[in-house]
Amino acid sequence: MYSSHSFSRREFLLMTGGIVIAASALEAKGAKEAPLIIMDQAEGLVIADSTKCVGCRRCELACTEFNDGKSWPTMARIKVGRNLNFGPKGLRTGQRGQGNWGNGLIIQDICNQCPHPVPCANACPNDAIVVKPPTNARVVDPNRCTGCKMCQRACPWEMMSFDSDTDKATKCFLCDGNPKCVEACPSGALSYVAWRDLTDKVPPRVVPTAVVSPEKAQTCIDCHKK
Amino acid sequence: MAKYGGWAGKVLRVDLSAGKISTEDTVEQYKDYLGGTGIGYKVIWDEVQAGTKPFDPENRIVYGVGPLAGTGVPCNGRTAITTLWPTCWPRPLVASGHMGGHFAAELKYAGYDAIIIEGKADHPVWLSVLDGKAEIKDARGLWGQGIRRTTIEINQQMGPEASVAAIGQAGENLVPMSVVINSYSHSAGGVGGVMGSKNLKAIGVRGTGSVRIAGSKEEWEKVIKLHLSLLGANNQHVVPNNPQPWAEYYDAGSRWVASAGRRWGAANPSIDTGACEPHNLNRIAYRTNNAAFFLGDKAWQYTIRGNGCTACPVRCHTMLKVPAVSAKYGIPAVGQNTCTGLLFGKSFFKSFPDGPKGQTAIEACMVGMHLADDLGVWENYGQLQRDFQALYYNGIFGRKVAEKEFKSYSWDKYEQGDPTFLFELLPKIANKEGELATALGLGTGHLLERWGIPEQEWLENHELLYWKLGHPKHHSNEDAGQCGVIINTQYNRDAQCHSHSNFTRNGLPIDVQKRLATELWGAPDAVDAVAAFTPMNTYKAKMAKWALLRKELHDCLSLCNWMGPWVASPLKERGYRGDDSIESLVYSLATGDKKSRQELDEVAERIFLLHRALTIRDMGTKDMRTRHDTIPDWVFADLKDKAAFSKGTIRMDKEDIKLAMDMYYEEMSWDKQTGSPTGETYRRLGLAYVADELTKRGLLP
Repeated sequence: MYSSHSFSRREFLLMTGGIVIAASALEAKGAKEAPLIIMDQAEGLVIADSTKCVGCRRCELACTEFNDGKSWPTMARIKVGRNLNFGPKGLRTGQRGQGNWGNGLIIQDICNQCPHPVPCANACPNDAIVVKPPTNARVVDPNRCTGCKMCQRACPWEMMSFDSDTDKATKCFLCDGNPKCVEACPSGALSYVAWRDLTDKVPPRVVPTAVVSPEKAQTCIDCHKK
Repeated sequence: MAKYGGWAGKVLRVDLSAGKISTEDTVEQYKDYLGGTGIGYKVIWDEVQAGTKPFDPENRIVYGVGPLAGTGVPCNGRTAITTLWPTCWPRPLVASGHMGGHFAAELKYAGYDAIIIEGKADHPVWLSVLDGKAEIKDARGLWGQGIRRTTIEINQQMGPEASVAAIGQAGENLVPMSVVINSYSHSAGGVGGVMGSKNLKAIGVRGTGSVRIAGSKEEWEKVIKLHLSLLGANNQHVVPNNPQPWAEYYDAGSRWVASAGRRWGAANPSIDTGACEPHNLNRIAYRTNNAAFFLGDKAWQYTIRGNGCTACPVRCHTMLKVPAVSAKYGIPAVGQNTCTGLLFGKSFFKSFPDGPKGQTAIEACMVGMHLADDLGVWENYGQLQRDFQALYYNGIFGRKVAEKEFKSYSWDKYEQGDPTFLFELLPKIANKEGELATALGLGTGHLLERWGIPEQEWLENHELLYWKLGHPKHHSNEDAGQCGVIINTQYNRDAQCHSHSNFTRNGLPIDVQKRLATELWGAPDAVDAVAAFTPMNTYKAKMAKWALLRKELHDCLSLCNWMGPWVASPLKERGYRGDDSIESLVYSLATGDKKSRQELDEVAERIFLLHRALTIRDMGTKDMRTRHDTIPDWVFADLKDKAAFSKGTIRMDKEDIKLAMDMYYEEMSWDKQTGSPTGETYRRLGLAYVADELTKRGLLP
């Protein structure tokens, strides 16, 4: 019934309290066995209070200047600029929407550090998105990233960034527990808190178009079949 | 990798007559002039002949930003727009307007440090600048539209992230008193008509690129945090305006207005601005609420939040939501601006039924912002409204305008302080409808000339605050005595210099200011308590020179001289010292071009001198002292006839001001008799080519 495993993945997860080492996916690479795609839960999360955001973009600048040495809001792992003028719905709401041209509300888009599934990691054909202690943030391993941008197409919240100087994807890594964006916010609109699941709270921006590899899809079926 | 960080590396040049777009290397061509107004003055010196008029196709309009624009240095959001100034009277001279918002940063991310526009398109166009690619686009469908609609339609084409700097009907109609606006409320005065004369409706910019920081990221983070720690509130006021548990001092005039119980009442739910202890850098944005500062406590309940430029934590624009105005005036409930832009509508009226800080005054502000920031009308730092009141109440409108036209205005509404009057007036200014509105749109100097009113009447009037060349004072003797006077003689529009007033008005007690002044300018006597002025001394001249050079430096680096410099701070443990070398620290790290404070000030002096040379060249005289650096009579009078230097007056003494100008020219190494820089001074600052040209024209002292 369960192929050659002595436990189903679901049973295994239940037994271990959900702790599975993401790196096992990498260890399994090349082996016939399908990779485990369940990651340790993140420890922390950046959350945002939109009513406090003043639209200065210091978070985006702190993210890229203090981590990468360049001022590059487009590459920032927190995204405010795209909602600044008209809100997440862009111009479809005219002046009646959000942002500086609407009601003033500015939505800060932030990585949810997804539990399971982790769409960016699942979509990566090179398993380059891994869990990194101590925060267990989902991070891009630049040594494995080939710059194919599949992760960008996988994230429903459009939170993957791309560094065109290095040709690698990048994403929020929680600055190893001291997020620069939180420190930089002049209105205290950002907080670093214990992780909680926001994936069903934050409306997606796009419908993902990335394809999950058949071998990973098989592991989904392993757990999700009745 | 480019040799320098900071700069994007390219300057975009657009010849609208030929439809030709080209680029120049910023570092190669303009590094000695940094950016911003530096590039502007250089282009105008090199390319625009003396005698050119602002609306001639040969005039250039230069949108310049600097190496710090788009970085995380606090307060770098300003774009300097340099051109021949349409409201400068009796002849146009070079000047600059400055807009905040997100245009400056976006331009850098799109790959450019400046845009030079020349020529005139044969039909209305707009310029699209998208990640290193510029295109001239048809704007015939946008012509006749306001700034809001123009912006929205360009955003539809370029995407919601684009920053659009557009003119309204005023600019299209070549009204000299017109603006360009980006990011909803960030305007640069005076230049709307220049864009209109080129048939240029708007510039949209969108960039996804980066600005490279040359220094190490660790050092950069350190210096950014140092800079942030020195910030005060708007205008670098470093003490709160009411007693706070953490504060040693407070000053009622401070723009640091946050306090427990003062709430952003229209945030949902409302937010208490609370204690903004200076070490808490996560509360800088709550310190300032310029709506509450200018409009009184009633504005708190309407405050959604602070707003402002890219990377600026100070948020000097306040976003207001006043639900009543939608039903009452048919305008959006949300509006935003700061200072004279915020007060645009209110300042026309002498009084309101419910007082100067009541509901009607706020509604007048909302109506004024709604109209002016869409039509693109400029207020000339409040001179438009001061002129308006004087012209009406002195019966001049009645005499200069045909009876039928005069009576077509609802003057009863005007006298009653009814904001609906603005719906009659402002569109007419933008559309040049009728004599009254057309004259107002010319700016003070040209209006007075058109109506045969001697400028002398304006020069003597205390309430009008008129200075010279068609423009008002901007932080003059009322803020810094002789230093303020000197500064107000130097430019070709209102001086727009805050270096001096941001120090004297920072709220620190005079003994603390004097201690800091000793370190900065050599002696405690450099500063006086406001309205307790003492006679001139060389330290005041040193402060004036410093103030002017820092203003020019800020305009070139893309730092905001409305917020800086940062030579005082709210930090008790620093003895309230700021850091006089913060500009050179951030410049050196961002660009990799290491320059000390003195070296960078020398670059600023070069740029300031080029402005002076352009003024001399275009006026065709070296006698700047008597023909340009003039001072209005009201400065030397007091309404209660208090003597100069007595307590409670801002009156200056004529002989003392002569000495002040002597000392200032000496400090600048200029010729005292003419107030013109000497050939040697030009050469010392790397402007030998300027000295040569002026020699040829007989314009060196």
